[in-house]
Amino acid sequence: MNIIGPDALVFGVDDVAACAQYLIDYGLEPVDVDDKGGRFEALDGTAIVIRHKDDATLAAGLGTASMLRKTVYGVADAQALAAIAAELRQDRDVRTLPDGSLETVDDMGFVLGFQLTVRRPLDLPAEAVNAPGAPNRPVNHTAVDENAPARPRTLSHVVYFVPDAAKAEAFYVERLGFACTDRLLGAGPFLKPAGTIDHHTLFLIQTPPFMKGCEHFTFHMGGPTEVLQAGTRFVNKGYQSFWGPGRHKMGSNWFWYFNSPLGCHVEYDADMDLHDDRWTARAIPMSADASQLFLFQQRDKWAPGGPPPGAAGAGERH
Amino acid sequence: MRPVPASGTDVFLCRLVDVPDGGSRGFDPARTGQDTVVVVRRGERLYAWRDACPHHGGTPMAWRKDAYLNAARDRIVCAAHGAQFDIATGICTLGPCLGQRLQKVVLDVRANEIYLKET
Repeated sequence: MNIIGPDALVFGVDDVAACAQYLIDYGLEPVDVDDKGGRFEALDGTAIVIRHKDDATLAAGLGTASMLRKTVYGVADAQALAAIAAELRQDRDVRTLPDGSLETVDDMGFVLGFQLTVRRPLDLPAEAVNAPGAPNRPVNHTAVDENAPARPRTLSHVVYFVPDAAKAEAFYVERLGFACTDRLLGAGPFLKPAGTIDHHTLFLIQTPPFMKGCEHFTFHMGGPTEVLQAGTRFVNKGYQSFWGPGRHKMGSNWFWYFNSPLGCHVEYDADMDLHDDRWTARAIPMSADASQLFLFQQRDKWAPGGPPPGAAGAGERH
Repeated sequence: MRPVPASGTDVFLCRLVDVPDGGSRGFDPARTGQDTVVVVRRGERLYAWRDACPHHGGTPMAWRKDAYLNAARDRIVCAAHGAQFDIATGICTLGPCLGQRLQKVVLDVRANEIYLKET
């Protein structure tokens, strides 16, 4: 089944105005947004959609603190959409919505949508890195641009807390054609649908049932510099860093996670590994060391010769 | 504003009016570089908790500087996974740390100034 990846995540939130400001400051473009919510798009048209939690148009919630209401997958063509409908109608209700998309529920109770993808092709350069023996940036082109937009390019992946990771994985692998690319033992599998070569668009983490929901979502950036540049701007606007910046081992993606008013973490990521059918999934026990190659922490700008950095100046910041 | 030592080892946080009524504010009394105490004000009453969600063993809860409350301003919310806490008791009422509670911080208010009691 030619599922490409998540086109949109729909949230039913407590504080619409706070979430709207958050997503704009994160770097998404508001489209049809008013005080009831709306759509916040990356450069390729993938998006986060927010509505108030009591909005009658939303799918039912998960019954936990999670605000995620729906994950909408983009598929390549009508044939893929028909194949998904035929497969899932064997054992569950699959509704066709007025816009032609499908709506159903996975084996953990997460509401899923499937639609002809809205993704617009991107024609943007990756971050170019020069190295001895491998010049990648044209001569006289400077790498650093303090005013670089550093905008999220595409919705990369979503991570679910699930009460039964094995059962959840089986649904996506056996029914929807996802493949496991790597596995953190004790946490869960990284999953990739057939229509992408990204390392993962879905990661499952085994948790108690009362935690069921969205752990985080992330958009791909143009490279590690954009992750750090966008993340630094986010910190400077007062947003709370949770984890990062750093670089994951599985998937190799650079990461920086932030708290959010959407009831989950929100990440910037870049430079994820690509895989095809020749790849053999690895499996290693979950640990801090397995999770990241390295981890850094943001600090205020400082230069040798200036005032003492860090904690000594912290009292001044309030 | 630099912390002013008060009597004993109490640490001056701010004036009462510097915490908006019905709102919240984070403080970094130990100068760690990150807020570690959250104060919520309701009229003349103050509630103070360690800014540390019990779910992840002490991760910061705000989603933006001083933003710790839900839209109705009647719960402290951890912006990691949406856990909600009763403002007066610190008990988690929804979320990953259901049944656990925030760690209380003792304040002293003197002459409309808020001090952190060192215990």
